[in-house]
Amino acid sequence: MNTMQTTVDPITLEVVRNKLDGIANEMQQTLLHSAFSPIVKEGMDCSAALFTADGQTISQATAIPIHLATMIPALAAVIAKYPVEGMAPGDVYILNDPYCGGTHLPDITLFVPVIVDGFPLGFSVATVHHQDVGGMTPGSVPTNATEIYQEGLRIPPLKYIEAGVVNHTLDQILRYNIRMSDMFMGDLNAQLAACTVGARRLAELSKVYGAAQLVDIFTRLLDRSELMTREALRKLPQGTFHYVDWLDNDGVELDKRVRLEVAVTIDDGTIHFDFTGTDPQVRGPFNTVPSGSRAAAYYAVRALTDAQIPTNGGCFRPVTLHLPEGSIVNPVAPAAVNARTATIKRICGAMVSALADAAPKRVPAASAGLSLMMAFGGKRADGTPFILSELVAAGTGASDGSDGVDCLQTDGSNSMNQPVEAMGIDAPLRVTRFGLRADSGGAGRHRGGLGVVREYVFHADDIRFTYRGERHFTQARGSAGGGGGAVSRATIYRKDGRTEEILSKCVTTVSRGDRLVVETAGGAGFGDPKTRERDAVAADVANRKVSAEAAASEYGFSQRGDRA
Amino acid sequence: MANPKVSIGIDIGGTFTDVVAIDDNGRLHIAKVPSTRSDPSAAVRTVLNKLLPEWKIDPADVVRFAHGTTVATNAVLERKGARLGLLTTDGFTDVIEIGRQNRTQIYDLILKPETPVFLAPGARRRGVVEAIGLAGEVVTPLDQASLAKSVDELVAEGVEAIAICFLFSFVNGAHERQAAEYIKQRHPHLIVSISSEVDSTFREYERTVVTAFDAYVKAGLDRYLASMESDLQSAGIPATLQIMQSRGGVCSARVARQRPIRLFLSGPAAGVVGARESGQSVQQQNLITVDIGGTSSDIALIANGELVIRPEGLLDGFKIRVPMVDVNSIGSGGGSIAWIDAGGGLRVGPQSAGSEPGPACYGHGGADATVTDASVVLGLLNPGYFAGGTMQLDPALARKAVEERVARPLGLTLEQAALGIHRVVNVQMAEGIRLVSISRGIDPRSFTLVAFGGAGALHATALARELDINAIVVPRYPGVLCASGLLSAMIEHEASTAFLHKLDVADPKAVEAVCEKLSAECAGRMREEGVDASRVTTSYCADICYVGQAYHIEVPLDLTDPGTMIQKAYEAFIALHDKIRGHSTRSPARFVNLRVVQRAANRATAPISMSATGARKDASKGTRKILLHGADAYVDAAIYDRDGLAPGQVIRGPAIIEQTDTTTLVEPGWLATVADNEVLLLTREQPA
Repeated sequence: MNTMQTTVDPITLEVVRNKLDGIANEMQQTLLHSAFSPIVKEGMDCSAALFTADGQTISQATAIPIHLATMIPALAAVIAKYPVEGMAPGDVYILNDPYCGGTHLPDITLFVPVIVDGFPLGFSVATVHHQDVGGMTPGSVPTNATEIYQEGLRIPPLKYIEAGVVNHTLDQILRYNIRMSDMFMGDLNAQLAACTVGARRLAELSKVYGAAQLVDIFTRLLDRSELMTREALRKLPQGTFHYVDWLDNDGVELDKRVRLEVAVTIDDGTIHFDFTGTDPQVRGPFNTVPSGSRAAAYYAVRALTDAQIPTNGGCFRPVTLHLPEGSIVNPVAPAAVNARTATIKRICGAMVSALADAAPKRVPAASAGLSLMMAFGGKRADGTPFILSELVAAGTGASDGSDGVDCLQTDGSNSMNQPVEAMGIDAPLRVTRFGLRADSGGAGRHRGGLGVVREYVFHADDIRFTYRGERHFTQARGSAGGGGGAVSRATIYRKDGRTEEILSKCVTTVSRGDRLVVETAGGAGFGDPKTRERDAVAADVANRKVSAEAAASEYGFSQRGDRA
Repeated sequence: MANPKVSIGIDIGGTFTDVVAIDDNGRLHIAKVPSTRSDPSAAVRTVLNKLLPEWKIDPADVVRFAHGTTVATNAVLERKGARLGLLTTDGFTDVIEIGRQNRTQIYDLILKPETPVFLAPGARRRGVVEAIGLAGEVVTPLDQASLAKSVDELVAEGVEAIAICFLFSFVNGAHERQAAEYIKQRHPHLIVSISSEVDSTFREYERTVVTAFDAYVKAGLDRYLASMESDLQSAGIPATLQIMQSRGGVCSARVARQRPIRLFLSGPAAGVVGARESGQSVQQQNLITVDIGGTSSDIALIANGELVIRPEGLLDGFKIRVPMVDVNSIGSGGGSIAWIDAGGGLRVGPQSAGSEPGPACYGHGGADATVTDASVVLGLLNPGYFAGGTMQLDPALARKAVEERVARPLGLTLEQAALGIHRVVNVQMAEGIRLVSISRGIDPRSFTLVAFGGAGALHATALARELDINAIVVPRYPGVLCASGLLSAMIEHEASTAFLHKLDVADPKAVEAVCEKLSAECAGRMREEGVDASRVTTSYCADICYVGQAYHIEVPLDLTDPGTMIQKAYEAFIALHDKIRGHSTRSPARFVNLRVVQRAANRATAPISMSATGARKDASKGTRKILLHGADAYVDAAIYDRDGLAPGQVIRGPAIIEQTDTTTLVEPGWLATVADNEVLLLTREQPA
């Protein structure tokens, strides 16, 4: 971008940077406060950002890293279709199509151009994961989808509001294609409120500093973060590091594991992620469009570099990716993509774990890296409909200095679980057990974090049940001689006595009297288990995190307190 | 003639214990004595044995004794509570350890547990076979054998206290009470807290945590209060010991010990209550209070004279669901360190020089440039009159630090660097204040800033400028505001319970019945501390959310007409939702909790009268050269001694007003007016 050269002192630069971060935070706060659906409120599945007029991130508030930078390709698609020069105050653009820069269909992004005295200053943008965007299943995340058409309504870049007037046609199409459209419109209004706040404050800033100087400040802030990121990358181990991990299956071909391979090359202030060797795109919905792979890369860079670098588009300049076309990390339309979170989480883990041997003090053993998604939908006894979805975490990896943490969200996601008491209010089911899963943490000098056990009984018939698990077939791998974490398991116990083991993914129906037991995976251990401190093993046994049998077999520890 | 009656407020903070004593003639004494962490009540004995005689106060004349204590908070910080056992519904013993599964540091690779497992690790948690349904029905009766076995096992683990949290006990606490009764019978020495009494609202993890903390600190707090009561008695003080609660009201020690969790983080609450009194004394009802200390700043809001209460607070990184005054901490303060990042940018904080070594100008070996050092360079602080002259600041060290750490690396002059540090820290604090205000639906521009803490009044005009605020209040003694807040707080009791019914189908009679039960609970506590029912005012409110929404808004309830009660509540909810969250729809809504708050005024304290307190000093202390943002060079600022200012006096900026516990900067364009009670009211000559 060709900017007019102005003089900006370092103080003003820092003052404006604080204000820009403040604006993004205020937008995010507006989203969290005014959204309706639990997925935003409890799951914090939303984010807000300011952009330059040419689409570089100036500041972003993210509650979950998986949103990092995902708006960049989305905004690029909007600008490509609607040149900035043609935009007017009061315009609002909308998009969700993954093949036009989106992520997956439930993530709808609104864009408000900030135009001051005819001068396009930038964009105020907000993304929300909506509870439903239509398609074949309530919640719009069908595990057995094979085409994007089954996943919901696709919205290419469109003008949702033109000069203050809502596009009535689009509005009606949205309302008629989306379940529980009142909640949907509530969340969309929350996005609009957030974008409006951002646009207003950015315009106010330009009144203080002048549009030209403000644009110059943007440029300098971006350059500064780029410089700092390059410096930090130079301090990491240099070279190429490989890692291979697996997804359980694509939800359609249940016995076929999916290979993810990454080569991370760190060289003189740059970092490159090469996914050559990764499996082709899959029939099921686990494909991730490039924005997701990029978000994972930015998460990895942010986690591996200096936390004090102000996050903006400059941080992303030294990062490059090779995403083979037609692979699971760069699919060709109309591949289904709704369940891409599982893939992104696995990519985040692989990118970081690639450095495990090179930087053992800094990089822990692998976390289970899964966020089990379950959705229940149907009718209550009184005939009213319900949709309930929840995300359940698993164990984190142990490190050189500490045990892993039990049941905690890692890498790209950070959602809360549903309180057992809240679930009873929202749906005709009852949780009858929720506890830590003994012996699921990988053995090691430091033990991996435990997964959890959660058990349900159902109180209505014909409840549509979606299960999207991970780590049912491959363990989180240990570091420095530590053991892997236990794999996930899930079983439906039918009222008539049949049992059905869930092979990582399923869409089925459950009814009154059926029981469901899910167990999430454990994190991996770090270091030789035989060198674990005896007191720590004894405490694990006393606290029922490790059984006496496992203490003996894995740690060589007997109840009497002597090593076997 | 009888001696005038005396009211005493004592606030024990981490570093200092603040004391305020005022008699019916308005004669005021204030003191700061060092706190003793190992024996917090030692400071109180110092007051009784040393200060009262010095101040010629006869203990028999002390009719009020209000106290703010960090004992409950410290027990947690120092992990010195009871050895605790936890009883839960069978199958849910790990809820306290699993928590809500989200993490606070999202980019850290090496993660730490986020839940207070230390309260009761797995070995000290047991299940009981029982189940209550959502409608309060008994699904599975409490299994006596499993209860007996679990309690025996906890006793064998050597527990001193047991917390009980069963699922759905917020709709029916019978099983919890049954279990508690059993423990009391068999093990009368054990402390027991049950969740349906401590926090009768839904979400099992949050309820378990608050109940566990309650049981954890109960015995220690009880011992502490008993010993203090006995100290007061042996000193011959007839007043009842009153304790500050997290919601900003006081209650008698006798009631406080029943609900120890309600004392968490009550220190900041007292400060906000004190700030409210200062604001109201000059007719300001909409206030943003900012307490700027060494390492952080505390921000709170007061709308229409009402404290904003939030449903949960943060203690040692753990979220605890205790209603408390909504005080928000941000990591910028006088000790915040200015540094240059790898990209050559100036940053301020969040690292702080703390009190040791402190800012460079303290001369305790600190080499980093802090906000306080910048204040010295700019001439805003008087090196010879810091902390009441007890500490000599070294301007040369301040200049050296700012020069070497900031000016030279950035190629700026010393003055530009010092101004820059102020500009950056001021914008950080202003953005913090803005975020707190906006997220509560408040536009800061229409509010008045109350500045206190050591550095509050120094930054106030700059913050007001950033936020387009037109008025600032500086309390008479900003350094002991927590102690004076104790004396202006009302006696308050609050009771709430879950009430999960949709508005369109809720029975107004059921609402009334629950409110009556909660009122009776509050009234019982009022009676217990001897408050006459005629002095008590009762307010009713409901937490309401849209169906499907997870966060609720507190809405006042008008019980006068059952026919319109629910409709009114719905309309009020929609109006508040629109105000706080920026939009509203006429979608179905649901009650979450019902709440009753009863308040009673304490004995009023007389307005401070300086003529009663002592001779007036000469106010004017000449001029000093100071440097301000927007000015090219140092300007002469008139310097005043706060103790010498007379009511009605108006001071035009640039000016500096010094007093033992703070320094007030009056920037050009501002007028400082001394009110009758000597509170300073700063206003813009031309409102923004």
